[in-house]
Amino acid sequence: MEPSLVLPMMEMIRAWSGVSVPNAAARHGLADHLALIAELEALRGSMVFEDEPSGFEAALRDCQEPAR
Amino acid sequence: MNAPISSSDLTALSMTEAADAFARGEVAAEALVHASLDRIRALDGKVNSVIRLEGDAALAAARAQDQARSAGRPLGKLAGAPMMHKDMYYRAGQVTTCGSKIRRDFRPTVTATVLDRLDAAGAIDMGTLNMAEFAQNPTGHNRHFGDCHNPWNLAYCTGGSSSGSGAGVAARFFTAALGSDTGGSIRLPATLCGVTGLKATQTRVSRHGVMPLSFSADNVGPLVRTARDAARFMAVISGHDPKDPTSAREAVPDYEAALTGSLKGLKVAVCETYFCEGADQPVLAAFEAALAAMQAAGASITRVKAPSLKAINAYTAMVSRVEGAAIHANWMREYPADYAIHLSARLFGGYAMPGHLYVEGLARRGPLLRQFVAEALTGFDVVATPTVKTQVPTLAETDIDADTANWHRFMAVSANTRPFNYLGLPTISIPCGFDDRGLPVGLQLAARPFAEATVLRAADAYQQITDWHRRAPKL
Repeated sequence: MEPSLVLPMMEMIRAWSGVSVPNAAARHGLADHLALIAELEALRGSMVFEDEPSGFEAALRDCQEPAR
Repeated sequence: MNAPISSSDLTALSMTEAADAFARGEVAAEALVHASLDRIRALDGKVNSVIRLEGDAALAAARAQDQARSAGRPLGKLAGAPMMHKDMYYRAGQVTTCGSKIRRDFRPTVTATVLDRLDAAGAIDMGTLNMAEFAQNPTGHNRHFGDCHNPWNLAYCTGGSSSGSGAGVAARFFTAALGSDTGGSIRLPATLCGVTGLKATQTRVSRHGVMPLSFSADNVGPLVRTARDAARFMAVISGHDPKDPTSAREAVPDYEAALTGSLKGLKVAVCETYFCEGADQPVLAAFEAALAAMQAAGASITRVKAPSLKAINAYTAMVSRVEGAAIHANWMREYPADYAIHLSARLFGGYAMPGHLYVEGLARRGPLLRQFVAEALTGFDVVATPTVKTQVPTLAETDIDADTANWHRFMAVSANTRPFNYLGLPTISIPCGFDDRGLPVGLQLAARPFAEATVLRAADAYQQITDWHRRAPKL
């Protein structure tokens, strides 16, 4: 049975993006979002935004191997 | 000039073996290209790895290399080696389909920097390769150009999205191929087809002139037979490119010089959680056997925990799908029926993901990289995982267009590769065994940012004590 979240999500996508549901598989994919939502829900409160400026490229540079 | 190599042996040569034999005068570039073209024409009807074969242009380029050698002019590092590229690298004026109907007649006005660099190194580009439509699936299905078939067993997936790149290298059609990797698209076909594939550090290789899929996670890299091939290929394509301002300015080391052939002293971390959870038994058996072989050769193996992987996995799914949806929004409005079912279905889901969570995923990428490095790469040289948790699936059981019930089997293929795109870490996949059906299993090794030399050294040393990478499918 299709989760109740799917129809409202389809409407929201059409309203925000102008994209209509292309096929039945796309509805299946939206239903699959429930697992991702649960994963993100489990993360709530576990991480906070850092106050200091930070960037991914800076982290790449900082995490390099120590000089041998 | 040394003794010539017989023509029947030419397609058995790896990229470095071919280039070295050419440099020593043992073989002509034209003979190498002829052997590749003949093999493709004889056997690609089964595999379907090629979209456009540029035989005449390749032979002309090969003859130019032969003349350069005869004249004593300096040769490039890849001179004479036949290669092809995934059909999403732009060459000015030439059709670049991106594996799609929408771009079936697209002629870019620029040439990808990586193609320019490979040309300058003397590689012989023989044309373009099959791929997942817009590089957007992990299996190798393609509705518009036909599915690519695994050379080890034609009913099975090649892995995607660089399907033709993996299948063609495995089938000995050419010595090397350019692939791309946003969630595993180099490492998956490398694993499923039994070859070697490297995704470099995010920003290590220029993306100028390359079809975008996800600005944050797209990578350019090679599919080849050996880690040594990958090292030489990477030496040619890596480094800052003024045409790609996002490309890194870090110096490019001599990757081949880093290949010591030894595993002694290598510290390997194995994450107890996530990467092996739910994995198929034959995959786990091959993975553990690979670890044991590395340990016997002098590496240390330590089991670690990496709690950050839960968040990394969640954000990985978020970031690339939202970016893909944004890139395709106009076409999804105007030509939704021109996409394969599995692709439009996947893109559609990206529009439902809230903007604040996408921003959260990007903002936490740096902190999560630091956390993962602290958990799994502090005191260790590499992290080892199975590249794919499951045995190679069939094309039928991952075909969403035929049956939406195949959705989860389809999506599960890239579970172990995606996290390293979010983390931006250099990661290689090499063959580490075969299952009871004779299909390959892959070993994935990741290291700290810009430590491509470390993963290449570990992979090359493993290939010195095993012969999985030397096995070839019978077509």
